[in-house]
Amino acid sequence: MIFRAVEDADLIQRAAKGNVEAYNLLVSRWEKRVYNYLLRITGNREDALDLTQDVFLKAYQNLRKLTDRARFGAWLFRIAHNEAYSMFRRRRPEADVEELEPRGAETGITVGGSSVFPMELSLTVAGALGRLSADQREAVVLKIYQGFKFEEMAEILDCPVSTVKSRLYAALDLLKAELAPLETRGV
Amino acid sequence: MTCSPFDLRDFLLRELTAAEQRQVEDHVEVCAACRQDLDRLRLTRTALSSLADEEIPQRIAFVSDPVFELSPWRRALAALWSSGSRLVFAGAAMLSVALVVSPILRPKPVSPAPVLTISDAEIRQRVEAGVSRAVTDIESQYRARTEQLVKDIEQRDRQERRLLQASYEDDLDRANRKAQNSLRDGYGDSQ
Repeated sequence: MIFRAVEDADLIQRAAKGNVEAYNLLVSRWEKRVYNYLLRITGNREDALDLTQDVFLKAYQNLRKLTDRARFGAWLFRIAHNEAYSMFRRRRPEADVEELEPRGAETGITVGGSSVFPMELSLTVAGALGRLSADQREAVVLKIYQGFKFEEMAEILDCPVSTVKSRLYAALDLLKAELAPLETRGV
Repeated sequence: MTCSPFDLRDFLLRELTAAEQRQVEDHVEVCAACRQDLDRLRLTRTALSSLADEEIPQRIAFVSDPVFELSPWRRALAALWSSGSRLVFAGAAMLSVALVVSPILRPKPVSPAPVLTISDAEIRQRVEAGVSRAVTDIESQYRARTEQLVKDIEQRDRQERRLLQASYEDDLDRANRKAQNSLRDGYGDSQ
């Protein structure tokens, strides 16, 4: 008997033909990442869970439209991004796009209970992330926490790579000033 | 602002080529300012990693229900629409059918109605006839109206004459009665 790791592409192909078990396996591989991404941009566990379910349902319904299976991750996060912004828009239909996401003070970003870092540091980081603009925070989440390439981030956010890079680097400068100030270097 | 040959943030995120990475490594060994900046970036990244991912509170799973499954026919239709090449083929097939069927179903051209030929003299004659007919109509209308007006005036004149005559007769009658009374009164006095 030969054991072989089943690739996402195989699961996508089978799921696209209506194999629900293959799709469930695919979901189990991605649900935690999608949930944490949505949690960090919505700041609410209940919203993040509801949106995650919607994302995977929508992905299943549109799986046949996915031409490049190697880009499943970016495609899935693009759906997640759109779902989150649709929710923001439903709740605040009169607001501009920049104002759609919750303000920093409302962003109760989770602090990991099992983290090896002190709770104070996690709270400081959560606060610093919360003070970024919505676009900057999302760029940090996609790059630092989700590890996407700039091209994938551009696909997810539907904007040029230069814009994505500019947002991320501006965010990194702000976070550096707050989390690693000059006077505390070497800590 | 640093003097590093490449952006230290690109270096931190491993966005540089191997050769570029090495150049930055060599540079930060000799440049204290860039080394300090890179240390701060690394510290920032380490601090960010203190936020651990959460477990999803509820696992997501889908169940297969035949009610929601697409029928083979609809699945084939969906597959056709979702495939670019198949769609192009279907479009080409429809175009071919249209090209074959179109000449058969196209309505035959209808020949235009014959143009009537008519001479200038005839046109002039018809116009003159029409004009004289219109003039006759108008003249007869005026004549009838004039006759009616004359009749009305004559009738009104007769009425006025009758009224004047009646009034004159009344006046005359009244004067006669007055004269008779005067004569009778004068005769009495003379007696």
